[in-house]
Amino acid sequence: MPQLPGLIKGLGVTAKTAVRTLFPKRGWKTLIPAPQKGAVTVQYPHEKEAPPDRARGVIALHEENCTACMLCSRSCPDWCIYIEGHKVKAPPRRAGGKARSVNMLDRFDIDYALCMYCGICVEVCPFDALFWTPEYEYSEPRIADLLHDKIRLGEWMDTVPDFLEYESGSEQKVRKVPR
Amino acid sequence: MTTTSDRDQLAYISSQAADARVNVELNTGDMTLNIGPQHPATHGTLRIACRLDGEQVIMAEPMMGYMHRGYEKLCEVRTYPQCTTLINRIDWLGSFANEVPFILAAERLMEVEAPPRAQWIRTILFELSRIANVALFLGDMGVQLGALTPVFFAFRDREHVLNQIEAITGGRFHPNFDRIGGLKDDIPRGWIEETKSVMVKMRTFCDEMEDLLVGNEIFQARCRGVGVIPADVALNYGMSGANLRASGVDWDLRRDANPGLAWDQIDWRVWTHPDGDSFARYWVRLQETREATYIVDKLLDGIPSGPIMAKVPRIIKVPAGEAYISTENPLGEMGYYIVSKGELGPFRVKIRTPSFNNISVVPWVMKGVYVPDVITILGSLYFILGDIDR
Repeated sequence: MPQLPGLIKGLGVTAKTAVRTLFPKRGWKTLIPAPQKGAVTVQYPHEKEAPPDRARGVIALHEENCTACMLCSRSCPDWCIYIEGHKVKAPPRRAGGKARSVNMLDRFDIDYALCMYCGICVEVCPFDALFWTPEYEYSEPRIADLLHDKIRLGEWMDTVPDFLEYESGSEQKVRKVPR
Repeated sequence: MTTTSDRDQLAYISSQAADARVNVELNTGDMTLNIGPQHPATHGTLRIACRLDGEQVIMAEPMMGYMHRGYEKLCEVRTYPQCTTLINRIDWLGSFANEVPFILAAERLMEVEAPPRAQWIRTILFELSRIANVALFLGDMGVQLGALTPVFFAFRDREHVLNQIEAITGGRFHPNFDRIGGLKDDIPRGWIEETKSVMVKMRTFCDEMEDLLVGNEIFQARCRGVGVIPADVALNYGMSGANLRASGVDWDLRRDANPGLAWDQIDWRVWTHPDGDSFARYWVRLQETREATYIVDKLLDGIPSGPIMAKVPRIIKVPAGEAYISTENPLGEMGYYIVSKGELGPFRVKIRTPSFNNISVVPWVMKGVYVPDVITILGSLYFILGDIDR
């Protein structure tokens, strides 16, 4: 034997949400329907979603800091980082010192078609050369075009946000992003 | 608490018996019906071969392996930090909860212990992933029964929790945040207040689901007395988690075998339901989600200060030995048995996943049920294919 209260309660919940979507809180304009404003979905091409600062969108490369030590490439679970480098003689730091040999980076490619976005490379980098940025608009029509070189990775360096302050009680030090 | 009246169950059983008698009298032939591999009710690619006699299932056999990815073998050729990225992808709705037992087992072998602050944040993220996971079930159960609205509400409100997980870990689905000896990073400023407001939203969501489905007559008629699993059967099949608690067994690893996380520091209760039918499984999960929001609230109030990383070497080598740690994941008991030979990666990993054992009760529980109830029972058992096949 059907009992009505349960059904009416359920319909009430749906109706409440519909009213909240149709008439979002907008001051005196409350009574004018605005389903686009009340919707929870982001109308993507017209408005952009704002991911949090820590979001793992894409990996940016600060080229000056990279020494081609291959740590990131070796620790990558997918082996999607390709690094080539050579050594050059650099002038000594102090006058009269010995000439140094410096690693020059020839090639630093990340294949984003393979990348799992795990962040191990960013974590193992001892020289602060790799950073996460929340940038996400880099899709390509062809899968081979997702192999990005060091120039493209360097451009993303501008979009890296500063590291966030920590909640009280933390003993971590806030790191700095090299600019 | 509500319980099934014996009349409901008896009515269902007697209608089954009457139909079976008609089938025998009419001498109807058997027919095989494959549900899946691509069926929305199977959450992935699970195939259930049902032998039907009329409207009744006489034998149902789950066939798994369509999504087998060989994680146990893949872990053997990876280092410990690389393993966690894989382990994220076992139960993809509650990823962070997958990492924790693996890391705890490795920590036990290395004899390091995470600092208290790391353990509290771990517990908070664990419960957040439980809420994100089970919230989807609460809506999805409606879809199995033909009610489309709840799942949209579930997707809407789960997004708040995923945003909080993303704000701290950087990944919505695959946090990869747990490290041997602690956590990757600390909480950003303002996260605690935001999470508290999200917990209020999730409690509202639970109330909405209660109003939409639990009080709904159609939902009750479809779920009450359908797929009854008694406590002894559930234990014999190795079921765990909310499925077991819905059969009346008061068993929760968070309370009974806490592997060192912060659950024993606060007060909370384990919800059980004596019925063991589909409705009980839904009800227990609903109460658990609400309880998890309170757990998160209490934990957020008491996060101790201190470091978040114990002293561990930069290149992690786990000493030789064996360890098994299991925790109460959103779906049930999830455990990792790690055999280490003192190298960079594990020698062998055995992954005990809850869905695999939960789904093994299907041949028992589906004997004699009607075809539409197959979907109800599958939905209420709540498995995730990545968790079955791994």
